[in-house]
Amino acid sequence: MHKLAAASHPMASDAVTRFDFLVIGGGSGGLAGARRAAELGATCAVIENNRLGGTCGGNVFHVFWKVMWNTSVHAEYLHDHADYGFEGAQAHFSWQLIKNKRDAYVSHLNQIYRNNLDKARIQTIQGNARFTDDPEPTVEVSGKKYTAPHILIATGGHPSTVSDEDVPGASLGITSDGFFELESCPRHSVLVGAGYIAVEMAGILSSLGSKTSLIIRHDGVLRNFDALISSNCTKELENSGIDLWRNTQVKSVQKTEQGLNITLGTKDVKDKDAKEKTDRIQGVDCLLWAIGREPNTAGLNLSQMGVKLDPKGCIVVDEFQNTTRQGIYALGDVCGKALLTPVAIAAGRKLAHRLFEGKAESKLDYTNIPTVVFTHPPIGTIGLTEDEAIRSWGKTSVKAYTTSFTPMYYTITSRKTKCVMKLVCVGKEEKVVGLHMQGPGCDEMLQGFAVAIKMGATKADFDNTIAIHPTSSEELVTMR
Amino acid sequence: MAAFRRGCARWQQVRFLGARAPGRTFAGTHHYDLVVIGGGSGGLACSREAAQLGQKVAVLDHVQPSARGTAWGLGGTCVNVGCIPKKLMHQAALLGVAMDDAGKFGWSIPGPVSHDWSTLAQAVQNYVKSLNWGHRVQLQDRKVKYFNTRGSLLDRHTVRGLDAKGTEMTLTARNIVIATGGRPRYPTHMFIHAWTEVMFGIFNKVTFALVKSHGQNLSRMEDCGASVYVGLECAGLLAGIGLDASVMVRSVALRGFDQQMAQLVTGHMEARGTRFHWGCVPTSVEKLPSGLLQVKWTEVRSDLERVEREDTFSSVLWAIGRVPETTGLNLPQVGVQLHPDTGKIVVATDERTTVSNVYAIGDVAEGRPELTPTAVKAGKLLARRLAGQSNQLMDYHSVPTTVFTPLEYGCVGLSEESAESRYGKDNIEVYHAFYKPLEFTIAERDASHCYVKVVCDRAGVQRVLGLHFTGPSAGEVIQGFAVSVRCGLTYAQLRDTVGIHPTCAEELTKIHITKRSGLDATVTGC
Repeated sequence: MHKLAAASHPMASDAVTRFDFLVIGGGSGGLAGARRAAELGATCAVIENNRLGGTCGGNVFHVFWKVMWNTSVHAEYLHDHADYGFEGAQAHFSWQLIKNKRDAYVSHLNQIYRNNLDKARIQTIQGNARFTDDPEPTVEVSGKKYTAPHILIATGGHPSTVSDEDVPGASLGITSDGFFELESCPRHSVLVGAGYIAVEMAGILSSLGSKTSLIIRHDGVLRNFDALISSNCTKELENSGIDLWRNTQVKSVQKTEQGLNITLGTKDVKDKDAKEKTDRIQGVDCLLWAIGREPNTAGLNLSQMGVKLDPKGCIVVDEFQNTTRQGIYALGDVCGKALLTPVAIAAGRKLAHRLFEGKAESKLDYTNIPTVVFTHPPIGTIGLTEDEAIRSWGKTSVKAYTTSFTPMYYTITSRKTKCVMKLVCVGKEEKVVGLHMQGPGCDEMLQGFAVAIKMGATKADFDNTIAIHPTSSEELVTMR
Repeated sequence: MAAFRRGCARWQQVRFLGARAPGRTFAGTHHYDLVVIGGGSGGLACSREAAQLGQKVAVLDHVQPSARGTAWGLGGTCVNVGCIPKKLMHQAALLGVAMDDAGKFGWSIPGPVSHDWSTLAQAVQNYVKSLNWGHRVQLQDRKVKYFNTRGSLLDRHTVRGLDAKGTEMTLTARNIVIATGGRPRYPTHMFIHAWTEVMFGIFNKVTFALVKSHGQNLSRMEDCGASVYVGLECAGLLAGIGLDASVMVRSVALRGFDQQMAQLVTGHMEARGTRFHWGCVPTSVEKLPSGLLQVKWTEVRSDLERVEREDTFSSVLWAIGRVPETTGLNLPQVGVQLHPDTGKIVVATDERTTVSNVYAIGDVAEGRPELTPTAVKAGKLLARRLAGQSNQLMDYHSVPTTVFTPLEYGCVGLSEESAESRYGKDNIEVYHAFYKPLEFTIAERDASHCYVKVVCDRAGVQRVLGLHFTGPSAGEVIQGFAVSVRCGLTYAQLRDTVGIHPTCAEELTKIHITKRSGLDATVTGC
């Protein structure tokens, strides 16, 4: 048991340890909420069954992601070196080296999380949590019971999988979690999925030297993004040499000595009379399912608690992160909305202020949340797509400004990539309700514009801002 | 008869576009609505906008060859010897640094990698030429008449053009815009026995041979004007492609910029091996029989202590400020007033000079930032006003800018010093953080100069007065924040924006440690 300040230590009575704030899940959202609550004077405990930091920092994603993306950015640079006058820059890639460095860095982060928690005097409880049948909400971990007037569920999510009943041999494939366990770069990768995870992984693998195929059910990737992004990203994937299979699903997977054989069925869903075509990709050494994520709610025994779930199993919450049971809250990936680290962190902190600082109105605004997808080149997006804006306001009220250009970096290289940008504006004053772009630098560009859009900036505000020259970002303040 | 012949000569020299008939040269009808002298960033933007609004426009552009005989095409400083080649070379330097990092990311590059300057130079030149061409085509498409002649004012409505062959012509205009920009300052106060390159020359094909791929290169900076960043940028990009560079500075680097940020920029360069000679003033440059240049200078340690030093370099680059290109324009004779200290053209808030139909924009105008985007915007707004389409004046406040040194520095608004002197130290709150870009972690790179600082009004809503960032892609990071500063950004609005993860830019939305608190401002973890 950690030493806690005399004024606030948990009470242990009838073998149920009581805290002010009990957090199930030590990921981005859970840790942020616990730390802020502790700062505000609450006694806190975090229950975690794996590594601290959760999906984001502890185990997989974010840090891993960006490190791998950076690695592949170097691949791109190496191609350009000769054009910029460097002679002799032929490189080959060592997967093991980067994996070791990446693992070391993430262990380092795990330690930081642990230190932060210790410093904040937050108790960490290792194990799987489960709600008991007690009248007052009580959580049991490895035979011990814990309770609090405020319990936060921030258990996150996990990659969806396909059962072997639906697709024979599906379990021969891995998910994004497995990607980070890979000991070497696959010679031939097949990825299934059209969301940002599939697209990011395909880009990274391809630039690191893996022959990459991407299987998508419809005719474009990122179909929930603005149409400009969806079509541009699909084009960029193909331009980069990724073998894209549109309107295709995996039918079955067989293991052979030469690797996996994957049977595909292709059928244009728009054409009712079309027959399904069958194809096969052979000798695949890595099949990666990236078909979505599911909430970690099984095993919590939530049905007992009156905590409502939606059809996908995500916990239903109101704008204040309240579940349908008083005293129980949920945020982050387990709620299925805006699956992003900074969103979970922000929601966790807002909740802590509401519960422990009396700020009754404290909540996160889920509109205008900026997102970056680390494709090649990266995508930045915030706000409404053009179609969403038209649905809300009608075509006559919506004006979209777009531009497409080759960034100066590529003017002297043989390899070229475009940058595309769109501003979605609404009303007479042309309030900017959406910004969508793909191009080099868009990952670092978006943040400042996100601030401005959240403040309600109009097209005139953009136009009246002086450009910074020469950059790509200046195109956003000089659009006609 | 004589009048008829004069009239004929005018007919021959001036071609007419559109349906408008040629006019006589007195007030009321002119050959052109607008004549722009100077085909750089400001001049081209102004003339294109005016033409688009239905004005009859002519542009005169002519580059006076340098002392070394170098000249260039249409587009001005930015396109030919400024922003554009600078950024491409900066990019080359970044690639050089990236190669060092690549190894840590798992890439092994067998054998030594060297940089060939002429490959880069040729590639940059080809691109610049394509821009020259592009500008010519654009002017043609917009029906702007272009003359490759040196312009000067005969009177307030008459422009004289003199081309390289000595052929003269005259144009008359209702309004005249002077956008002739500036040129680098040559050192005049010291003894130079050898040809040294003024900063612009480094970008020109003739001087490329000068910069050897071994040997030391010296960049000498003077701290005047907005060009102070040029010396640092050049030294930085030379170092990035593997050349040995030293920087000699009389007093401070990046004068006029936030000095804490300036020190982070130079600190980073020093940490990576660029030598700085602070408080030094060169006294002579001589060419040795070997072809190397011997530079002698005085290190001023205090009023009493001065040490004489010398060293040899393969090239010396001067970046000691810029002078306005006003000679030969005949301005004082026409009544256009020049500033007594800077020699730049005195202008009012609507860019008007002391002659009511003559305007000046860009680097040549007094009190204006020496930046392409401000010249461009000022040119466009002026064109709209002259065409009677708008009353909007150029707003020169909160101009964002970026210095493309090896560690880039982007900023918008006031420096900490300016905010202190304007509001008082107790009335401002400075939030700051030292952060580590994720890309530096695996690369094991020194991130001690990566820093963000937000200077706010301490009272009320804590309006953001200035925002400063050193780190990768600073230019891309700052642009959006400049929009929000324009919209009246407050500290709370900055903090209330969800961060994008993982990026460097998000650090600006996370800052919460104040300088006043004295707490450690190093960001840890996620």
